[in-house]
Amino acid sequence: MKCESCNKRHATVHLTEINGNEKRERHLCEECAQSLNNPLVKMPTPADILSSLINQVAPEIGEMSKTTCPACGLSYLEFRSKGRLGCPMDYTAFKKGLVPLLEKMHGASQHIGKVPSRAGKELVVKNEVLQLRKELDKAVEKEDYEKAAKIRDRIFELSASEDKKDEGTVQQDG
Amino acid sequence: MNYPPAKIKKMRELYSKTGEWLRGTGPESDIVISTRIRLARNLANFPFLHRATEGQRKEVERLVREKLKEATLTKDLHYVKLSEVSSVDRLFLMERRLISREHAGGDGERGVAFGKSETISVMVNEEDHLRIQVIRSGFELRDAWKTIDEIDNTLEEKLHYAFSPRFGYLTACPTNVGTGMRASVMMHLPALGLAHHIEKVFNAVGKLGLVVRGIYGEGTQALGDLFQISNQFTLGKSEVEILEIMEGVVPRIAGYERMARKALITENKEQLEDRVWRSYGMLKVARMLSSEEAMHLLSQVRMGVNLGLINDISVETLNELFILTLPAHLQKLEGKEMEASERNVIRASYVRKRLGAFQ
Ligand SMILES: [Zn+2]
Ligand SMILES: [Zn+2]
Repeated sequence: MKCESCNKRHATVHLTEINGNEKRERHLCEECAQSLNNPLVKMPTPADILSSLINQVAPEIGEMSKTTCPACGLSYLEFRSKGRLGCPMDYTAFKKGLVPLLEKMHGASQHIGKVPSRAGKELVVKNEVLQLRKELDKAVEKEDYEKAAKIRDRIFELSASEDKKDEGTVQQDG
Repeated sequence: MNYPPAKIKKMRELYSKTGEWLRGTGPESDIVISTRIRLARNLANFPFLHRATEGQRKEVERLVREKLKEATLTKDLHYVKLSEVSSVDRLFLMERRLISREHAGGDGERGVAFGKSETISVMVNEEDHLRIQVIRSGFELRDAWKTIDEIDNTLEEKLHYAFSPRFGYLTACPTNVGTGMRASVMMHLPALGLAHHIEKVFNAVGKLGLVVRGIYGEGTQALGDLFQISNQFTLGKSEVEILEIMEGVVPRIAGYERMARKALITENKEQLEDRVWRSYGMLKVARMLSSEEAMHLLSQVRMGVNLGLINDISVETLNELFILTLPAHLQKLEGKEMEASERNVIRASYVRKRLGAFQ
């Protein structure tokens, strides 16, 4: 949009002037707006101040500030101000903002604990393998090679059973 | 308000006894009073509670209540709708550690289910749709985990939990996401307090990802030298890994406490004996006792019993008195509501009776 005063530069300042019942939209470039000497131009609103403050503290918010959960309608900003999520979907909708937050909060953002059996056996095995890899590292670190060998065997076993299952599925489908 | 007769009877049965976790048995029970594990779970197809409508909230409560009854987690599972009982009853359940402070004070449709031995309870519509809890006497993390894991599996067959492979069990507050597990151990640490070592211990514990709080959860002062040590992080570690960390730390804190007690005995035996016996005497003769004072004196006497200085009273009785002398318990024992000053008189009289002192 071009500036409505000089009609040359790009309009970057958008004002709404209210005079009694009359509302007037104005679209101006930075320079023309300055020359109008309109006191509203450079005055940031409390919301602007807040969002710039938040931006300094938590840079992900700027990017996420327009995101809203399609399921429950919670906005990311509301979540950041109250600290509570609105519904399970928020973890997907706000993922980009949540990951760094969880990293700061828990030092991690990937779950490796219990998995409900409803979520599928594969995930159960995957998490167990993740868990075993950690234990393997610990055992090696402590130079407990006997334990490490046992853990390694178990990892192979689990991976093998997964492969077999995959083959089985293929055969069934075919 | 009129309560259905069955409900009144059930609540009354609770007033006159205490839960199994106060027995004073189990590993490290001289210092570890109880072990608790809590799991936060939510239903996949509902918003979290603070964003749910009144109707959705009611629907969640009804659904979970019905499934809890079907699941038969334990025989004699009893369900209390918190919106239907008095505020003293809710405070009573909180003192009993069957519900949290937030659950006692909250509003709207919500409830709690618990078994007769009070080792299992499920809060419905607290901050999350479900908060499953298991409490054991002494230091029993593995045992508590085994029990709660099974309960969780049973409920999972009937309820569709909100879960994501990336973030684990989804919770209203991101501080609980992942395992949704909060394990906490209630420890009695009077000697560390006396020796001003307690802060050092807490700082060290903090570096290991554990937090220390007063007995009744967040924002409360430690009464009676009772502290709750629990895991801070719930994401990125498995349940067992979290328990392993606690299994490494808690016995060490108990060890420090024992060392501090030993030091008090060797360096200042008379002073320690004087402190313990004065506290015992005070409990036996006082005519008015505030809740804080009772807690403090009971704490000293409990340490005295553990050190073999006093042997005509059991740890179980002292553990019980910590709970039975709390405001709502006293009012229930007396069967009426009382002001603080009246409670102080009744509390002193009740303690004298339990300690077999002169009336
Ligand atoms: Zn212009
Ligand atoms: Zn949502």
